[in-house]
Amino acid sequence: MSLSQNTFGRSGLPRWLIERIWGLEHAFERARASGKAEDDTRLRIFFVLALFSLGFMTLAIGATRAALFSDARGGGAMASLGASRADLVDRNGMLLAADLLHYGLYIDPREIWDTAETRRGLLKLLPNLEPERLERALRGNRRIFVLGALTPQERNRVHQLGLPGISFEPEQRRVYPLGTSAAHIVGFSDAGGEGISGAEAAFNDDIRGAARAGTPVALSIDLRVQGALEDELYKAVAEFTPKGAVGLVTDVHTGEILGMASWPAYDPNKPGKAGVYAQTNRAAATVYEMGSTFKAFTVAIGLDAGVATPESTFDARFPYKLGYRTITDYHAARKILTLVEVFQHSSNIGTAKLAEAVGPQRTGAYFKALGLTTPAKVELIESARPLTPKVWNEDAVASTSFGHGINVTPLAVARAMGAILNGGKLIPLTIHKLEPGAKVDGPRVMSERTSLQMLSIMRANVTGGSGKSANISGLSVGGKTGTGEKYDPAIRGYSHSKQVSSFAAVFPTTGGADTKRYFVLILLDEPHASARSAGYSTGGWVAAPAAGRVIERIAPFLDVRRRADVGQAIPVLEPTVEEMGEGQ
Amino acid sequence: MSVFTRRVRGFRLLDLVGIGLLVTVIVGVYLAKTLAGRERAEIAKIERQIKTEKARIRLLQAEVAHLEQPGRLERLSVTYLKMEPVTAHREATPDQIIDLARAGPPKKAKAVSAVAGLIDGSNGVPGVPPPPPAEANPVRVAQAQAPAKVAR
Repeated sequence: MSLSQNTFGRSGLPRWLIERIWGLEHAFERARASGKAEDDTRLRIFFVLALFSLGFMTLAIGATRAALFSDARGGGAMASLGASRADLVDRNGMLLAADLLHYGLYIDPREIWDTAETRRGLLKLLPNLEPERLERALRGNRRIFVLGALTPQERNRVHQLGLPGISFEPEQRRVYPLGTSAAHIVGFSDAGGEGISGAEAAFNDDIRGAARAGTPVALSIDLRVQGALEDELYKAVAEFTPKGAVGLVTDVHTGEILGMASWPAYDPNKPGKAGVYAQTNRAAATVYEMGSTFKAFTVAIGLDAGVATPESTFDARFPYKLGYRTITDYHAARKILTLVEVFQHSSNIGTAKLAEAVGPQRTGAYFKALGLTTPAKVELIESARPLTPKVWNEDAVASTSFGHGINVTPLAVARAMGAILNGGKLIPLTIHKLEPGAKVDGPRVMSERTSLQMLSIMRANVTGGSGKSANISGLSVGGKTGTGEKYDPAIRGYSHSKQVSSFAAVFPTTGGADTKRYFVLILLDEPHASARSAGYSTGGWVAAPAAGRVIERIAPFLDVRRRADVGQAIPVLEPTVEEMGEGQ
Repeated sequence: MSVFTRRVRGFRLLDLVGIGLLVTVIVGVYLAKTLAGRERAEIAKIERQIKTEKARIRLLQAEVAHLEQPGRLERLSVTYLKMEPVTAHREATPDQIIDLARAGPPKKAKAVSAVAGLIDGSNGVPGVPPPPPAEANPVRVAQAQAPAKVAR
């Protein structure tokens, strides 16, 4: 008793159980003491029986419960096969990439009755099947994988042949239903489900995480904008036959990339069939000497540094020697120009004089602050490092002030342009959709006043300068043409026939610094003149018209309404050669 | 008489109760397993159907996305419906209608769509999205319509 009291003298169920056992043991003792040994045996048998019954009942209840309420989802291999990568969609939910159920074809030659019939049937139904591979499988002695990525329809057709020894196993395969559309920004992943390029590589972990949660990953692009951008870019490509081309549309306030096109394009469903040249995203991975487009930066720097105002004058009558270079104008005005006229005439002399006034160190510091000396800040792993002057001296300023001697990616240009057009803040670009109304902050690199002045100057360049062919009635387009001669190693100098022609546009230029505003860049690498471009292949002739058409088409999608000249139906005249000059 | 010693037709009541209980439990478990197995097969079948349907839905969604490629839609609408991209000139609010009426009809589009231009009669296969111009030998836009000059 003392044992029970000391050891088990607790409350609750243990105590009750111990008391029952002791009570039973006492019953045995009483039976033995009273000389009724048979009662003692019966009691013990009853006790053992009760214990077994209890155990059996427990097992029975457990079995019944398992049978009735167990998870009944064991429905074959397909049940456990989930997507390894989440869907990619555009900002409006349109599908860009998805993991779809496909099937792998296996052959077990030991089960095949008629090898010839099997060979004939499979080759007829599956044109992608390599005869050598099939032959190897048919002559083998074990089950072997023969062909992957069969669609359910293809699988059903093979099934209907009723061939023994043929079996299928489900597999997930990444599919890009849009083909070449948005190929470079979407990118592609390998057969193992790892992102290789574009958003697939940039958001690899996010996409895998989202697949587990069953939610799609939304990109910043708008498929409608992307479609219009690609269409107009391909139109320019078809007309001017460049070796490469880039189209970009960004939101200057959020940094969201709404459209990104690179030509040549490729089909991410068959990346192996495209060469590296086609797979290269020229917007992110190729650096260009942009030419006069950079004058927008130089003018903005001059205004922000306080060394010039829009009315400041620059003598562009004679060639100007700065550093090792003698600077001339392609379309010499041979007169004293205001800063706005320097921009409109794309005067190299005026821009170089402005940069000299700012000073090499300060110009270099501004270029650095604008993000032009580092890879463009964006999620894309392809974002390339620029080629910049080693030392910011007079030689460097003489070249970089009008876009020579510095090679940057179109994305870097878009980011820096965003800073001088959004009120002066340098914000990162993104291919991730931001929530509507999201505010993105960044370091201030320009004053708001400079930003508003630049909007006016860029607008003036479209109404009365080299960007006239981008003028779209009522949308208040501003912009800057650019034509950078390319360095030709063969002649160890800049080629007059190989150019990078571009147009950097912004719309609308009206409104305050907070007005919703978009940047459009069209760039053609080594375009050729056509009959319609009056023999020129400069930015004003080959890129500006395409940019204007892009803006005209995407403005309704971006909810930018025509203003001011609404209803006046001001005709957009084809600019004459005299008016546009060479469109530098 | 103790419940342990009571007999029914020579058999101890306790044994009979135990055997009865055992048989009842065995029959019960058998029935439960049989019925549950049937239900389970039915559930598995329905779940397989759901998964198959979901896979089909995803395939159809991908097919819709493929068929709704902007370039393809544009090519088809230009080819068969003679439609073209809506320009900003053709957008207006009700307040602007009078001004627009005074200004006269909108001018004609400057150029045909690049996609439409890329369609060569022999190559235009309905349902197949148009490829971008070839890398080595770009396709030229078929005689883009020259813009009509309008007097200021």
